Amino acid sequence: MVVRHISAFALLCGTLVVETANAAEPSALFAEETSASGLEAVFTGEWEYMVGGGTAVFDCDGDQKPDAYLAGGESKARLFRNVSARGGALRFEAVESGLEVDKVLGAYPINIDGDEHPDVMVLRQGENLLMRGLGQCRFVRANEEWGFEGGDAWSTAFAATWEKGASWPTLAIGNYIDRNEEISPWGSCTDNWLHRPNSNEARVFAKPLALMPSFCPLAMMFSDWNRSGTPSLRVTNDRQYYEGGREQLWRVDPLKPPSLYDENEGWQYLRVWGMGIASADLDFDSYPEYALTSMADNKLQTLGEAKAGDPPKPNFKDIAFAKGVTAHRPYIGDDLRPSTAWHIQFEDVNNDGRVDLFIAKGNVAEMPDFAMKDPNNLLLQHEDGRFLEFGDKAGVDSVEQSRGGALVDFNLDGKVDLLVVNRASRAQVWRNTTEAPGHWLAFKLQQDGPNRDAIGAWLEIQRNEKIMGRELTVGGGHASGQLTWWHVGLGVATQAKFRVRWPDGAVDDWQDLQADQFYVVERGKSAKQWLQE
Amino acid sequence: MKRTKIRKIFAVVLLMPLLVLGNTAHAGEPAKVIVAWYDLILELVRHTPTYSPPVASRAFAYLGVATHEAIASGRADGESLAGQINGLTALPRRESGKAYDDAVVVYAAVSLTTQNFFGNTGPTGERAMKAMLRKQEKELFQGVAPDVIERSKAYGAVIAGHVLSWSESDGGAVIENMGFPLQYDLIEGKSHWVPTSAIQQQQAPLLPNWGKNRTFAMPSRSSCPLPPPPEYSEEPTSQFYLEAKDVYDTSKSLTEEQEVIARFWSDDPMMSPTPPGHWIYIALRLLEDERADAARAADVLARLGIAIADGFIGCWDSKYQYDLLRPITYIRRTMDPKWNTLLITPPFPEYPSGHSSQSGAAEVVMASLFGESFAFVDATHERDGIKPRKFASFRAAAEEAAISRLYGGIHFRAAIERGLEQGRCIGKHAAALKTKR
Repeated sequence: MVVRHISAFALLCGTLVVETANAAEPSALFAEETSASGLEAVFTGEWEYMVGGGTAVFDCDGDQKPDAYLAGGESKARLFRNVSARGGALRFEAVESGLEVDKVLGAYPINIDGDEHPDVMVLRQGENLLMRGLGQCRFVRANEEWGFEGGDAWSTAFAATWEKGASWPTLAIGNYIDRNEEISPWGSCTDNWLHRPNSNEARVFAKPLALMPSFCPLAMMFSDWNRSGTPSLRVTNDRQYYEGGREQLWRVDPLKPPSLYDENEGWQYLRVWGMGIASADLDFDSYPEYALTSMADNKLQTLGEAKAGDPPKPNFKDIAFAKGVTAHRPYIGDDLRPSTAWHIQFEDVNNDGRVDLFIAKGNVAEMPDFAMKDPNNLLLQHEDGRFLEFGDKAGVDSVEQSRGGALVDFNLDGKVDLLVVNRASRAQVWRNTTEAPGHWLAFKLQQDGPNRDAIGAWLEIQRNEKIMGRELTVGGGHASGQLTWWHVGLGVATQAKFRVRWPDGAVDDWQDLQADQFYVVERGKSAKQWLQE
Repeated sequence: MKRTKIRKIFAVVLLMPLLVLGNTAHAGEPAKVIVAWYDLILELVRHTPTYSPPVASRAFAYLGVATHEAIASGRADGESLAGQINGLTALPRRESGKAYDDAVVVYAAVSLTTQNFFGNTGPTGERAMKAMLRKQEKELFQGVAPDVIERSKAYGAVIAGHVLSWSESDGGAVIENMGFPLQYDLIEGKSHWVPTSAIQQQQAPLLPNWGKNRTFAMPSRSSCPLPPPPEYSEEPTSQFYLEAKDVYDTSKSLTEEQEVIARFWSDDPMMSPTPPGHWIYIALRLLEDERADAARAADVLARLGIAIADGFIGCWDSKYQYDLLRPITYIRRTMDPKWNTLLITPPFPEYPSGHSSQSGAAEVVMASLFGESFAFVDATHERDGIKPRKFASFRAAAEEAAISRLYGGIHFRAAIERGLEQGRCIGKHAAALKTKR
């Protein structure tokens, strides 16, 4: 890796602000490269694999290119090393890694032990696994070494945070139905778990705490929804199976038992087929909006009004309809039955300075009242903040039974590509071939200590009078996570002011950065441009 | 062990008289078969996305008829509903002199009818039904002669086939887009319904043609008509405004007990067995309490299912006749732009209240079967963490169900009171059916 210091002197003088691409209608184009990609993986299985099917995208060999680990369901999961040339076609090679286990539903990369190798949380039917990265795409089981109890459940959701003052992460695992219940599985949601650091022993987890009540989540994320500096655990639950359930927001304060927000605190009563979750600050008010996938409808939540001077309350209101992201039924073909939505992710696919929204779609299995040919969505955000469907024009309107996915710049050309895991058919990959996209920046954060990747930090880009923020999280999506370059579109701006709010609240000074570059940001230092050798 | 003892008792004491009817003895067990399937059906109603309340009511009606015909056909005093309810032709009879097992007959009839109605439930429901089939076959077939099993299964299948064939022509068999039309022209005018939901699918109202479905015991959809709702007006002294003010003021002074009542009867689709399932649940537990035999259980479930289904048809006919706007639309327009309801406003016209109509119908049938002053405890939502409620009578329960819609902010008082009356009128037709000779 070659790193070059960027000095303010080297940057152009003048107004360093992000301007969105304007006038022209947003556009994007992808080329499917599945067949030649070498990425051969299918998420298989029957009832016990009707949910899940995720992917963990991260750099397993230190070449800075994101590699991909794909859940296999009944088949063994596989790790694929990214061998794409920079800016070239997407190419992967399967590698023997130690991650080849069956019954995998999803996976999230996370650096548990703070060394230079990412680790992987593997969610399974049965025992969950924490796999320690050894470098060179090799992994070894670390459940015992790290005191991690893998349990025996149908694990479907994951999120992680580093609580203030902790030298070891806190992991939240969402569990689904009691799979042994045959005649009446409804209402059999099993306990979610919170694995906190062991207070008596360094670098190991304590016995997991049951997060009760648990309502069959299919996604969760730690997110600082109120910018208090302490992330809460947002859990989206599948109403198909819970009784007396609802969406949940757990207050997870250091050294205190977790507690649920309730109506008295403003938390709104909402029940959906919660299947995926994503966040982004769409309105530049510094608070994230949350997108939730479901069936026949999807939600986009923003904080409700608060009295001036009062701290925010979790009184989220749904703006999906107003913003055009309900994505409730297929937009191509003649199958007009309602949609089933899974992985969801905000990324700026055309670098116009506005994040767009990808949604993976696919029938649960054989639910005849829902679309069987259910195309994935790519909703491009327009200047007025509304999203419009572009999946078919962009060429990502696959009608396979999609589940997990990742919008990631695989070939490091500054444009996010797309990987989608399908149930019962081959995973698909698309290279972003958008012509004349806007400018962009990509970041990796590093700090000393346990939370090496600065999960919980906020990237901030100055945008006219506003700040475009991006929260770094581990969790969300649908059974899919990534730990790689964090991408930001800049529109027509060729430079930008940038700073980091680190997880402990420390804020860097603004730095002026040249667009269209990858930057490694070490705490307390200027951003360093990364150049491929 | 218990089952074996019962068999032995019947073998000695009851075998001869029953053989006259061509039956073997499984006293008590057919009723258990019925209740077990109905408990599963309540789950399927809750977890099958097309099962809005009207759709659920229809399934309960046909399931009730299939259950009744399966049982009544084996009894000397059983009376078929054929010829009494609209469109149901005479069902094939059991073979004279041949032995049948009532438990197996009703198992076959109910399981096949259920599998048909819930063929769209999805993988978990399918798995549950298969598990139930395996469990019941293991229990029911043990010790029963193979020819009796086959004959009984075949006859149950004939009953199911006849009922299902009859059901296909009623107008409610096909549900598309979860009941929401893909295209619908709203009626213009201030008094008319407009969408109240931010869900895209619900920009058209639920099942606008449901009121045209064939009725069951009620002669026609308009057999129990309603007067028009109060005339639309935004004048503060008008009856319409005063009714809306009543909803608004109630919401602002809601007591804890009123909120409990609103939530207890909310019965939201996908989150509960729906309003029809609520009454079915009450009936199932009462049948268990009185250790009802299969004939009694079938009678109760058939009449109740029919009453509720007719209730929804009559109600929906009126709803789309008047196409009245919801309180939330009017109150935000005239009184308080930020006003919100306690319950989610259902996505269809307001007048009359569906829960009121179907509860009025259920009340009449249940009172006719259990008594006017029959007190009971309703624990429908206990597993959802909602405490059971006691009622002095079915009338009291129906009235509470109806007024809950005012507390929830989703209905005006006229829709509640007149909905109840409409339902009571409708329920009388089901109560008048003859199920015994």
